[in-house]
Amino acid sequence: MNEDLEFIGKPFPKIDARMRVTGTAVYGNDIILPNMLYGAILRTAYPSALIESIDISAASKFPGVVSVITADDVDVNNISYKRDHPILKKGEVNCIRDEIAAVAAESIEIARHALTLIKVRYKVRQGIYDPYEALKDNAPLINKYAENKYNNKNLAEVFHYEHGDLTAQKNISKVIISRRFNLPRVTHTCLGTSNITAHFNKTDKKLLLYSSTQVPFLYQRDIAHALKMNPSDIRIIQPVIGGGFGSKLDMYPFEPICALLSIKTGRPVQILYSREEEFIASPTRQPMIIDITTGADKSGNFTFREINIMKDNGAYTSWGATTPFVMMQAFSSLYKVGACSFDSKAVYTNNVFAGSFRGYGNPQATFALERMIDLMADKLGIDKADIRVKNANQKGEITGQGLHYDTCGHRECLETVISKSEYKKIQSLNKKGRYRHGIGFASMLHVGGGAKIYRSDGCGTTIKIDPYGFCIIITGSSEIGQGSETVLAMIAAEELGIELSRIKVINSDTDVKPWDVGVHASRTSFVAGNSLLGAIAILKEKLNKKAAFILNTDFSDLQYKKGKINSIKEGKSIDLDKVVREMHFSPPGELAIASYFYEPDSHFQDKEFKGNVSGSYAFAAQAIKVEVDTYTGNIKVIDVYVAQDVGKVLNPLLLAGQIEGGILQGVGYAISEELLFEKGRLLNPDFHNYKILTASDIPDIHFFPVETNDKRGPYGAKGVGEAPLIPTAAAIANAVCDALNLEFVELPLTPERVMIALRENISI
Amino acid sequence: MTDFEIISPATIKELFIVIKKCGKDNFRFGAGYTDLLNELRKKTEPELKIINLAQVKDSQFTGIKTGIRGLWIGAMTTIQQLVSNQIINREFPVLHQSASSLASTQVRNVATIGGNICTASPSGDVSCALVSLNASCEILRVDGRTRMISIQDFFLGPRKTLLNRDEVLYRIFIPQNKPTSVSVHSGFIKVGTRQSMECSVVSLAFHIQSDKKSKIIKAGLAIGAASPTIRFTESACNFLIDKTLKNISESIKDEFAENVVVYASPISDLRASAWYRKEVLYNISKSVLEVNPS
Ligand SMILES: Cc1cc2nc3c(=O)[nH]c(=O)nc-3n(C[C@H](O)[C@H](O)[C@H](O)COP(=O)(O)OP(=O)(O)OC[C@H]3O[C@@H](n4cnc5c(N)ncnc54)[C@H](O)[C@@H]3O)c2cc1C
Repeated sequence: MNEDLEFIGKPFPKIDARMRVTGTAVYGNDIILPNMLYGAILRTAYPSALIESIDISAASKFPGVVSVITADDVDVNNISYKRDHPILKKGEVNCIRDEIAAVAAESIEIARHALTLIKVRYKVRQGIYDPYEALKDNAPLINKYAENKYNNKNLAEVFHYEHGDLTAQKNISKVIISRRFNLPRVTHTCLGTSNITAHFNKTDKKLLLYSSTQVPFLYQRDIAHALKMNPSDIRIIQPVIGGGFGSKLDMYPFEPICALLSIKTGRPVQILYSREEEFIASPTRQPMIIDITTGADKSGNFTFREINIMKDNGAYTSWGATTPFVMMQAFSSLYKVGACSFDSKAVYTNNVFAGSFRGYGNPQATFALERMIDLMADKLGIDKADIRVKNANQKGEITGQGLHYDTCGHRECLETVISKSEYKKIQSLNKKGRYRHGIGFASMLHVGGGAKIYRSDGCGTTIKIDPYGFCIIITGSSEIGQGSETVLAMIAAEELGIELSRIKVINSDTDVKPWDVGVHASRTSFVAGNSLLGAIAILKEKLNKKAAFILNTDFSDLQYKKGKINSIKEGKSIDLDKVVREMHFSPPGELAIASYFYEPDSHFQDKEFKGNVSGSYAFAAQAIKVEVDTYTGNIKVIDVYVAQDVGKVLNPLLLAGQIEGGILQGVGYAISEELLFEKGRLLNPDFHNYKILTASDIPDIHFFPVETNDKRGPYGAKGVGEAPLIPTAAAIANAVCDALNLEFVELPLTPERVMIALRENISI
Repeated sequence: MTDFEIISPATIKELFIVIKKCGKDNFRFGAGYTDLLNELRKKTEPELKIINLAQVKDSQFTGIKTGIRGLWIGAMTTIQQLVSNQIINREFPVLHQSASSLASTQVRNVATIGGNICTASPSGDVSCALVSLNASCEILRVDGRTRMISIQDFFLGPRKTLLNRDEVLYRIFIPQNKPTSVSVHSGFIKVGTRQSMECSVVSLAFHIQSDKKSKIIKAGLAIGAASPTIRFTESACNFLIDKTLKNISESIKDEFAENVVVYASPISDLRASAWYRKEVLYNISKSVLEVNPS
């Protein structure tokens, strides 16, 4: 299948690149509908308070204000997967994002001004901002909708996993090390701020939403539940999305609020976040405190891992509470390990709630895991590279959790970055003087073939060829900038011999496109790619029949190239569009159209969280060189060597984009990004003090794809999107510890933290 | 956000008329707006007028000119113009480096030197370099007369200058290097988390001139983001006079750094603690004497 590929594996630019760079792409923020109103949301002034009264009279009377709503004006259900989140808050507020009222007005300025006219009387409460405090008996109940299924009122979610004989494995361990790691709250900083435009048609009672969701079909269901509507009366259109990274997996209150304003006014309403609002009210990565104990025997074989994680759930539950699904994979199955015991708690507090974010818990887990490996290697006197190679995962392995590694490039990834970084040659790095150099390693394991966590992990595709020879792919999958449209077009081009400029990808309308679970879990190229290949196979059967008839040959002889179907044997060919016209217009008449639904042959995990949850697994290793300035504490990330098992390179240009972007997010997580809170309030809701890195900070990235050709993936490809970010912070921390011969247990490694460590000399 | 009306005089003469006409009204000057708009976004001021300096055509107000005793830089000169000026690059590396370290190309293309000074931020990078260079400010009054003030005296506190509300900063004067100076050791050290779009957590500007015997004959050092205003560290400068940059002992470096740090009275804020600022200031002060002078 892989020989002589004309499109696959070639560096085609994104098919939407021109639109994006010339500014003609229509993002949600650009939409203007006739007669549209502008919505704005009043959020609480205090993170924890009782609401004594809300007076909207002055706001309602203000010229240009069309509607003001509070919880009293709406009949809705709670949102979030635990249904513990009221859309508009009544009686009390529990985090600084809380929505109290919303305004629809003729202009955005009027809407914002009207918010200042709403008078709210609060009875301020202390609030609880530390999850350990929230678990105490005398702590007040934070979320009154909590299920209370565990033995503590403020416990939102609990996970337990284990495999192997922990005691036996401890007994054979030569080293056992325990640490507590503290991982910060960071956010996605999508270029496009959150936005929604809602249009409720009073006549047919149908709701049209222009939404940047990553999961349009789940979203349709969720918003219908929230608004007590029929899902089929809601149509979701995804405009060009200005960044997702997981932030648009949950539905948030502003979305049904916008719909409610439209339902109330009968006019289209748009809500756009300002950057400050984006920082305050859009989701974050989960902050975590990870207690971990790990062991290895005297030859350096990993024996066991025991993990206990405290997650600050914030006031409401988002998908972020389920990140242990992914963390359990890393802890149980990254490197071979005889026994693993994992516990995590998500605890309600009056902090903001976290959502999902590229890597979904894996960067945190990998950080803890990879730091421990360095500590164990040091103690055992084993080389840090060698110990990793020794324990690397292997093809054919079935892990303690039941993951099947039918292909596995882990070892090759490690060996690649070890050799490319010339690690063995650079042992004599500068460890004295002002500038100190260090190198650190980390690996990662992530799902690479979807993840079966809903009833279906499938994706539908309809493909058609029009009478002019143009191909239209209608896919259930969504594009959030990652380039899946382009990869799908390349697959169709490859299989049907149609040039890229003649292929259109339709993927943005729930009334048109077939079901798909959404863009997450690095799944789109794998799942939507396979789905498309299935549809193409059916379509080709139809085309073959007609072409073979016209060319007077049999199917096996037909080849699709440059807009033609060729018969090799007969030495004849016919234009593809002509075949399509023949199909359409000559009796009995048939459409050149086919549909296919692909469901990966992965499994739901059982009650013990065991089972082969993905169709394929991706591996990666990174070796990172840093220079630390001991005068200022600044860390300069110099070189990042990254080898990633991608199965097969579908498009090297787009792949490099994922790798580089992911690594930069990882560097930010490691050294500069952190949302700073004081008693539930965000102190740095701006790019001035929330420091994402800039073009000038980019390290040299040396990327080496590893191709393991997974037969389940399209052309052998696996998911790649989340992987590049996952091991980066771990590798950087390992490199900094190496450079300074000091230990760090929290991120980010800000210059000040480095200086404190140097001053206090907290050596290992 | 404050709403404002904007008035754009085209000449200095028109500028005077506009200022006079505004009289006691609430008005501000606008140059590159990179500070002003951020400030106005955070508050609501009633009936604000902005007198836009960006359209004023006046060659003294916008360009860089060499005079007999030094360099004249118009207040409306953009930071990018400073970066690309060869004389500045050659004679006053500290100014070149401070300008290059400011924000990003986009911001440098609109931000002005006058705006950097008049904002009077303790972390103003270009201002810090100018203090180390003993620059002076030429202030223009509505009656058309001017007065010269040393830049050190110009800063009264964070966001406070000695400009009267109807006065405009017109030009900046940088005295030329000493005739007997044969080499300058000059640079700008900016401490922050990232390489661009960074506001100095602490900064140090130095401009040290040596004669042909490698003896230091004049030294200018200033520290930024370490006290309510940018400080000229006079005793550290005096400390260096007559020393030779080569072969400075460890203890002299320490003594020098101590002489710099006494001028620091930093605050703790989101970006760094006072402790960090002092600690790092001490280290980077020492580093000034560690590099080989050119
Ligand atoms: C993203 C970003 C990054 C930044 N990074 C840096 C940095 O790294 N280092 C740094 O030092 N600064 C930085 N700044 C601040 C700012 O860019 C500089 O201070 C710049 O030099 C201000 O110049 P301006 O022309 O934009 O001033 P404006 O905003 O137009 O004016 C600033 C103030 O000075 C007054 N003013 C301006 N010109 C005159 C005049 N001729 N006479 C009288 N009053 C006058 C105005 O009334 C106003 O109060 C940054 C700003 C932004 C937005």
